[in-house]
Amino acid sequence: MIPLPFQIILTAIVASILAGITCSVVGVFVVQMKLSSIGFCMSHAAFAGAALGLLLSTDPLLTALVFSSIVALVLGPLSERAKLSPEIIIGIMFSLTIGLGFIFLNLSPGVAATQQALGILWGSIFSVTFDDLLLLGLLTFFIIFLLTVFFKELQSLMFNRKLAEASGINTSLFYFLILFLIGVTVAFSLKLVGGLLVFALIVNPASSALQFLYDLRKVMLVSPFIGALTCLVGFLLSLLLNFPIGSSIIIVSSFTFCLSVLLSPKRRRG
Amino acid sequence: MVKYGMHNKMVELYNVDTIYEGEALPAIKDINLEVSRGEFVTVIGPNGSGKTTLLETVNGLQKVTRGKVIVMGQDMSHNSLKVRKEIGYVPQDFISDPSVPFIVRDVVLMGRYGKIGVMRRPNEEDIKIAEEAMRIIGIEEFADRPIGKLSGGEQQKVMIARAIAQEPKLLLLDEPFSNLDIDSKRRISDILCRLHDENGLTTLMVTHDLLSIPKRCERVIVMSRGRIIAEGEPADTIRKIEDLNVMGWSL
Ligand SMILES: Nc1ncnc2c1ncn2[C@@H]1O[C@H](COP(=O)(O)OP(=O)(O)OP(=O)(O)O)[C@@H](O)[C@H]1O
Ligand SMILES: [Mg+2]
Repeated sequence: MIPLPFQIILTAIVASILAGITCSVVGVFVVQMKLSSIGFCMSHAAFAGAALGLLLSTDPLLTALVFSSIVALVLGPLSERAKLSPEIIIGIMFSLTIGLGFIFLNLSPGVAATQQALGILWGSIFSVTFDDLLLLGLLTFFIIFLLTVFFKELQSLMFNRKLAEASGINTSLFYFLILFLIGVTVAFSLKLVGGLLVFALIVNPASSALQFLYDLRKVMLVSPFIGALTCLVGFLLSLLLNFPIGSSIIIVSSFTFCLSVLLSPKRRRG
Repeated sequence: MVKYGMHNKMVELYNVDTIYEGEALPAIKDINLEVSRGEFVTVIGPNGSGKTTLLETVNGLQKVTRGKVIVMGQDMSHNSLKVRKEIGYVPQDFISDPSVPFIVRDVVLMGRYGKIGVMRRPNEEDIKIAEEAMRIIGIEEFADRPIGKLSGGEQQKVMIARAIAQEPKLLLLDEPFSNLDIDSKRRISDILCRLHDENGLTTLMVTHDLLSIPKRCERVIVMSRGRIIAEGEPADTIRKIEDLNVMGWSL
């Protein structure tokens, strides 16, 4: 184990917890509203965006945000009206965004860029700065704030969009709000686990929580708890075993999911 | 704002066509329909004749491609969101997945969410109204169970309770009895009649079961291939379509 300054470790720990919380809160929407294909595309678009950011020497976070927002704006209305099946969306967008991402990376000059490029792909939590942490904290606060203020609309939308619409809720507004939040969360978490794995961080904790719970309020509390815990354990594991941080978080998180499927009362008889 | 029609009109449809996205032919065409405040109207017709489309055109879930839909004096192409808060809707064959994280109590209360408005929480009054709706429909014993774990008929009752909890001025029911046993059918039919009699609730109900048309029903509308082909006093109208044998139905 390489000795690291305490401050960097602390920053990394706080970052994992915050990312774990935001990703898994947003994940409840993704899983319950079956937005996986869009979310999946957003995460790879964010990766391509970040790669372009490196190439243009701008902040990769910014270009990642722009790219994932574009996906939300384009795919949102399409999938909203079920004009394209999720398989088609994934098939086309996945290859396109990954292709673009690698082209941008290839075009970026210099060794430094390669290091950063690896960071975008697989995450580099130790490069998380205090400013990043601040932004991530703001995002966490913002998402929890929206969730509290609009809980009843979001709950109703998650139960059934058509019924929500029929009872006079502006579902399109909240649908796009959710897509936007997914996009932002993906872009912000990119530094932590990288573009290829961030999506698992979104889906796994929510899926695990949904194995046990029948009340959305509880899911909304337990999912971020699982998310934060798996990120933390994954991070510590990567320090101990010298694994890449993203991979070890995802391994812990996938293990948690498998465990919850095995123990799930929803899948047990009697 | 322009107010169309007379004040006592609840629903007005003028030359309405509704085409589903990606389709060439309208699912309903040339519909002219007026429903007065406090009326109980039943819609019948064979599968695919456009009954569901008609209901969803009235509450604005389906956008019209021609004509005008006015509900409570408001043009549904502009004000549908606001008007929908006053329209209860029980969809046809609504079934939740067994693992969904929603308990019955919350689903019924959700009926009121639009009405409560954004940035507001349900208060004690809202919760009381939802409890009362569950009580009169007879589902209070399921209140804390996940909705997906109920039977089809039980889920149907939840949807009816949800619509009643909304305290609508207009109630749209799409085959609300399709999964109900005889007792439940009678009980809920009685409740709908009572709401109609006591609160003057305007009701538009789709059904296949001609026997379940309540006595309160003042008018039957018969649809076929997207058009209204007959309408009038229930007994007369049903006799007429039997004579025409349009659908090959028998009573
Ligand atoms: N989502 C849709 N997209 C395209 N066409 C549709 C859609 N839903 C219904 N239709 C078509 O519109 C017509 C009317 O359908 P609708 O569901 O209104 O019939 P219905 O009278 O309610 O039938 P049922 O008794 O089976 O419930 C049908 O021909 C159907 O094929
Ligand atoms: Mg129908």
